[in-house]
Amino acid sequence: MIRTYERRNANLIKLTLWILTFLVLVPFIWLIREAGPNYLASFKFLFMNQNGIAITWLKNSLVFTFSALTISVLTCVVAGFVLAILDIPFRKTMLFITLITMLIPITAMAMPLYVLIDKIHLTDNIFGLIIASSYYPFGTFLSYLYFVSALPSDLVNMGRIDGLGDWGLFWHLAIPLSKALWSIIIFFSFLSLWNSYQLPSILLTDPMHSTLPMGLELLYGNGTAIVGVLMMVPVILLYLLSQRSIERGIFSGAVKG
Amino acid sequence: MPRHRYRVVPMVMIAPYFALMLFNGFIPLLVAIREVANPSWVNLNGSYTTLFRILKDFRVVPDLRHTLFLLLVFVPLTIFAALALSLLLDATALRGNTFMRLVFLLPGVAAGGISVLIWMYFLGRHIAWNPGNVKWLITGIAFSSGAGSWVVIQYGSLRSISHEVLEAARVDGCNRLQLALRIKLPMISRYVGYMSILLTAAAIQIYNEPALLNADGLTSNWWSLNQVAYSYAFQTADFAGGTALSLDMLIPSIVIGVFFILKTDFLKRDAYQ
Repeated sequence: MIRTYERRNANLIKLTLWILTFLVLVPFIWLIREAGPNYLASFKFLFMNQNGIAITWLKNSLVFTFSALTISVLTCVVAGFVLAILDIPFRKTMLFITLITMLIPITAMAMPLYVLIDKIHLTDNIFGLIIASSYYPFGTFLSYLYFVSALPSDLVNMGRIDGLGDWGLFWHLAIPLSKALWSIIIFFSFLSLWNSYQLPSILLTDPMHSTLPMGLELLYGNGTAIVGVLMMVPVILLYLLSQRSIERGIFSGAVKG
Repeated sequence: MPRHRYRVVPMVMIAPYFALMLFNGFIPLLVAIREVANPSWVNLNGSYTTLFRILKDFRVVPDLRHTLFLLLVFVPLTIFAALALSLLLDATALRGNTFMRLVFLLPGVAAGGISVLIWMYFLGRHIAWNPGNVKWLITGIAFSSGAGSWVVIQYGSLRSISHEVLEAARVDGCNRLQLALRIKLPMISRYVGYMSILLTAAAIQIYNEPALLNADGLTSNWWSLNQVAYSYAFQTADFAGGTALSLDMLIPSIVIGVFFILKTDFLKRDAYQ
């Protein structure tokens, strides 16, 4: 009786999820149809239109995303490791500030950041945008959680006995044990940078310096769908590559049993 | 008692992150606090009273109403949807689970401009002609863009719950609903709290959705407080006024954040070991 009841519930859950999946998918099926049917011609039109400005936007987006991604991921994983394992002055204060800044969206800091970037004459400069977007406290906090649970003190002490210094612990112990962490942080950082709209739109004013999400606004109704599809493809590919890590690794060990 | 000596290498390792923290957190805040005291259109003599005077702008009260609407509708709706979907995905072995999570993530993967395009196509542009519909439209766009990422994050935290704990609860007679409500939800409550705070801050600071609708000629350029702050800075070149409003919006986010951290075990290292 209980087993029949449970099976019926499981089927109900599956049906609900499939219906919701279908409902969410419909707009994207429309988007893909809208971008076609001749995708090659749509891309050609997009990249030839207005002297190929879309190529410039794509190039700007790639430079911005990959530079900020590299800086943010490297700095936040190392910082997470140091905060979790090593001894530094004001460790708790830094962790506290990381958490506070993690709870404040970038939109809240956009205006103060603009004022600062303007004072150092880096507005309308991709370098200013890269620096302003490279601070990633969410990644640091995830790294902190990960290393606290994945590198117990016994393991760290064994590493010390084997002659590993602070950098050696990170290089020989933390990196090999944190592949899942890197995947998660790269995915979420890429997602927020690639689609970033507000900060680029206030820091970059010249259309030649725009990124793809800003270009979408300028293109409106004239190739928007194909740019939308173009922008979604790398995120989907990255998700598929890292979804196993995302599923297993996020907050891994942080939910105590 | 000998003084504790810190090693240099850890400090060198954390220095780049610390520099970014200063550049993107502390220094802009200090610059902004200084900027507020400069003369502004709302306070020609310039002083810190700009922080209060800016709130008398005729656009602030309607925008506060919009913010309140988002706090009452968008925040609970997104929390409910993200938790319900992640709990459903975690509740049963399901072929196509990965595909479903990818599909739920899709609206969040789409850039803001695409979300507006999709919503306008399916609802029709006339929907925005009635000003009463705009808040629902913005709520819908913000919800569809945000919920998917939270489904992925909360599903990940649910998968991190120890298998033994869940098995013990099942042996004790828990069904799926009891397992979700009495075991899983309390165990991920810290992350539900985190999600709630970020969504609250996002509602107070909302910018992208109304700005994109404005770019399409469907709303005014002062639907949200953030837009008003930008209109001060970029349309009337009143950076003191814009920064004052930005700081006013920052205060509730910081207060809620500090309260949350101090009231939970977020900061304690042994809470995660």
